Amino acid sequence: MQTRRMATWASVLVPIVALVSACSSTPAASQGTAAPTTAPTAGTYLVGVPIPQTGSEAQSGTTIFNGIKLATDQINAAGGVLGQKIVLSAQDDACDPQTSTNAANKLVSLGVQAVVGAYCSSAALPAIPIYERAGIPNLQPSANSTKLTAVGAKNLFLLDPTGNFQADLAAKFFVNVLKATKVLIANDQSTYSVDVAKLAGDAITAAGGTVLPIQAVPNTAQDFSAVITTIRSSGADAIYWTGYYAQAALFVRQLRGAGLTIPFVTADGSVDPTFITNAGAGNAEGAYGTIATTTQFLTGSDAAKFVADYKAAFSADPGPYSAYGYDAMMALVGAAKAANSLDPAKVITALHSLKIDGLTGSVSFAADGSRQGAKFVVLKVVNGAYQMAPTQP
Amino acid sequence: MDVIAPEIVAGLFLGAFFGLVAVGYSMVYGVLRLINFAHGDFYMVSAYVSYTLLLTFGVAGTANWGNFLIVGLATMVVGGLLAVAVERVVYRPMRSAATLSLMIAALGVSLVLENGVLNIPIWGSAYRAYPVTPPNAGFELLGVHLAWVQLLIIGVSLVLTGLVYWIVNRTLLGTAMRAVSQDRAAAALMGIEIDRIISIVFFIGGALAGAAAVMASLYYGQISYLMGFYVGLQAFTAAVLGGIGNVLGAAVGGFLLGILEAVGTGLLGPQWALLFAFSVLVLTLWVRPTGLLGERVGQRV
Repeated sequence: MQTRRMATWASVLVPIVALVSACSSTPAASQGTAAPTTAPTAGTYLVGVPIPQTGSEAQSGTTIFNGIKLATDQINAAGGVLGQKIVLSAQDDACDPQTSTNAANKLVSLGVQAVVGAYCSSAALPAIPIYERAGIPNLQPSANSTKLTAVGAKNLFLLDPTGNFQADLAAKFFVNVLKATKVLIANDQSTYSVDVAKLAGDAITAAGGTVLPIQAVPNTAQDFSAVITTIRSSGADAIYWTGYYAQAALFVRQLRGAGLTIPFVTADGSVDPTFITNAGAGNAEGAYGTIATTTQFLTGSDAAKFVADYKAAFSADPGPYSAYGYDAMMALVGAAKAANSLDPAKVITALHSLKIDGLTGSVSFAADGSRQGAKFVVLKVVNGAYQMAPTQP
Repeated sequence: MDVIAPEIVAGLFLGAFFGLVAVGYSMVYGVLRLINFAHGDFYMVSAYVSYTLLLTFGVAGTANWGNFLIVGLATMVVGGLLAVAVERVVYRPMRSAATLSLMIAALGVSLVLENGVLNIPIWGSAYRAYPVTPPNAGFELLGVHLAWVQLLIIGVSLVLTGLVYWIVNRTLLGTAMRAVSQDRAAAALMGIEIDRIISIVFFIGGALAGAAAVMASLYYGQISYLMGFYVGLQAFTAAVLGGIGNVLGAAVGGFLLGILEAVGTGLLGPQWALLFAFSVLVLTLWVRPTGLLGERVGQRV
């Protein structure tokens, strides 16, 4: 009986273990390999990269990591920063506050000398004090909730312009361009989403529009029929979704399925090609998105070169925030060169007075760490792809 | 009433899914006294299997309904077999263990399935778009747009639930199942093959989860490796609400939970929907601890 039981277990576990280890040891090119996590050795500059590797935002995590990695590889090929090679140490934060805190502690214990990463504001927020205590530069490529700068950390630098710029642009778009009279705003209860929703609501009201009570949808919800019924009965004539793209796809699909053709606008968390494909059958056609200038709308030869290099290295198109990841790493290295030192405190000081030209525009930071020099635009889905909306507010 | 009536219609559709998955939960609890937390993940794996089958056999668009039906049936079989495999490998050796240990094992299976799917490269972490899109044509009922597809899904759910009810209450096999759930030792003494009955119960539960998965994926159009967790939790709640161990109760509980969530959303906003639904659950259990249609726990004399 004992041996039979052992045999059953063995015959099931052995193939499972073999399968899992085989799968994890052959990373697909598009998934982006994480560098092995090592303590800093002499002659290397260890940079921590907390990003979502699991969970609903794993796809976005990969595109940001690839942007950072592209910059790192280019810098290392040119000799590294001040003669040291950059080594990346990626940790999963799953776009979740708790996992992010663990990841932050892990990175600090590994002795990273700077952090470039996090995608979600909800993951970045609890990690801020951890990196501040460690005294290392904390550069965020995409997290842009105003709650982050409100913490008041001196080592925080946001590459993505903060939510209040997005809210102002959205307000102008809804009131002046779409001429909407009743706007329904929905968030997914995450830090970034709630922030943008509230700021947008205030901005739209200040600009003269009417905002219906903000709908907070749980981020695991798949069914929007109840919300759609509310939309119908309230007579809303435009929607602003401030959550992420997976739910945006579900929302717009069910919205159009219910026969509602009112304009559907998303905030930058949902601006992603996956939104268009997962919404299915042209449901995303005509949808708008507010976002800080993304990769494909960057002008200049540098931008074209970036897109080509990215495609060559990762066999995929860059994501909306890949260029921000790239600029974040460039900003870090630029500051280290300006300070002529890799010492974290000196790099932080140099970052505060940094002004370089990045892919996403001129990169410099205000006193509270928020980005200056980039701006938000409105995109529109035309023929299954994002383009600049014909009428910008 | 203006707000509630359309929400009830919306909730009926949601409830159809919950009911289907809840029946599986209920049946397994009935025979094994086990809350199979992995049941939601049988649902998830079935969705991914149907996704791969559809991609492999090139079913695209809305034209090929015959092929889609075959894929749906195949997915039900796969869901059932997965459930049977898990029962054989994980739960059977633990049959005499404490209920708590079984529940922890179920949680473990859930995590294994979720992370297993996450690490399979062709499935992985990205939210996948389902290859088949149903047509949107439908009609208006009480201010809600009901697509014919939605009616079809509700219909299929009712038919499958009815089928299971018929098996459990009108066939010899069903009598054996009810005997096993009532008193396993006595049933064994009566010559019922416990192992076979339990495997059949798991197969039916898994097959129902597979059917629900195909229909949900078809309608919502998006699958992810975490989709089973939330649905499983709600299905479990529905089963408890209706009376766990009871097929009809699970179906009723499912519809009721769907309607409660939809009405809660309409009245208070989506952030309060779950709170509203669970408050009703707590109240119901307070008044009827075994659920709405649950058997009253008898007094042993």
